Amino acid sequence: MLGMWKTNAPDEFVSVKFDMEMREGSSPSDGASSTPNSSGRRRNSAEAKEGLGFIMCKRLVQMMQGNIWISLNPLASAQSMTLVLRFQNRPSYGRATFAPGSSSEQPSSNPQFRGLRVILADDDALNRAVTKKLLEKLGCEVTAVSSGFECLSALNSAENSVRLVVLDIQMPEMDGFEVATRIRKVRSRSWPLIIAVTASAEDNVWERCLQMGMNGMIRKPVLLQGMADELQRVLQRAGEGL
Amino acid sequence: MDSVVLLQRQLVDYTAQLFNEGFLDDQFNQLQQLQDESNPDFVVEVVTLFFEDSERLLNELAKALEQQSIDYRKIDAHVHQLKGQQLQKVCIAFRNYCEERNIEGCQKCLQQVKNEYSLVKTKLETLFKLEQQVLAAGGSIPWPM
Repeated sequence: MLGMWKTNAPDEFVSVKFDMEMREGSSPSDGASSTPNSSGRRRNSAEAKEGLGFIMCKRLVQMMQGNIWISLNPLASAQSMTLVLRFQNRPSYGRATFAPGSSSEQPSSNPQFRGLRVILADDDALNRAVTKKLLEKLGCEVTAVSSGFECLSALNSAENSVRLVVLDIQMPEMDGFEVATRIRKVRSRSWPLIIAVTASAEDNVWERCLQMGMNGMIRKPVLLQGMADELQRVLQRAGEGL
Repeated sequence: MDSVVLLQRQLVDYTAQLFNEGFLDDQFNQLQQLQDESNPDFVVEVVTLFFEDSERLLNELAKALEQQSIDYRKIDAHVHQLKGQQLQKVCIAFRNYCEERNIEGCQKCLQQVKNEYSLVKTKLETLFKLEQQVLAAGGSIPWPM
């Protein structure tokens, strides 16, 4: 049996409770026995029945903010075991829809990316289409633009709702570095986050990116796992206030 | 049922062949991964976009090389946009010729690129046709592999 409830405390935690029924002959722990013992306090009897294995489990569960105990029936033999786990409520970024046909191997179930607002800037139509789809697959909400100018104006009109800008470095007219510099002139280093996309294999591209105020970099060809990893890394660092 | 299995086998074999020959790579796998209920034709759409884009580029290149005074910088920029693992060597050569302002070298490279694209296009069209045949026979596409 499985139940779930919210405590009276402010919406910080959600508890999940497991009730496990004990059948004749089964025991919840190494040392539990079912000898009738009507004397003594109920709590003590339960504890007497707890073997080392159970005690260890109990300790672990309690360290994780949960609890576990054995309930006795009137004959003081173990009737059921209850496990309570407590989870902290995380802010949700929005709802995600999972395509029923998607394979379970995909990195698309990371809740961090759900509803993440992204502006994607790439002058190449093909790359833009593929990267956009890729980001959407990860759960992001993507606005795709084809130049540095469009990127800056989209950012301005969106005010603070855009969390991340994914920027192709090699764009004609205004390249990614220029765009990043302009963004950082008026915005803080971690909002919006900027991830550069580059075809270059040179070592010092990353340094240049950092200097321009970018937070991450990904090399072409852009693959799902690579993007997911870099997104995660960048969001994590931002969360740590780095 | 047998014919479906046969067609599927053909499809799988042909795809494997294209991977071996370098016409398809990881990115193709990824395109398949990105295809889902909301975008059931994603792969075909992207590939079509790829060919339209490439054709436009090749036309631009041909036109640029026919000019009285050739703008090599523009040509270099176009070459930079060409996609395809197999084209890497040709593209490097192409860009070198641009730097040297060697028009014959450029034209030779352009022809090589055209041939390559033509080949890729034929192979992918065959691949999609096989896919259609499997679907028409009531089978399902064994992606991703």
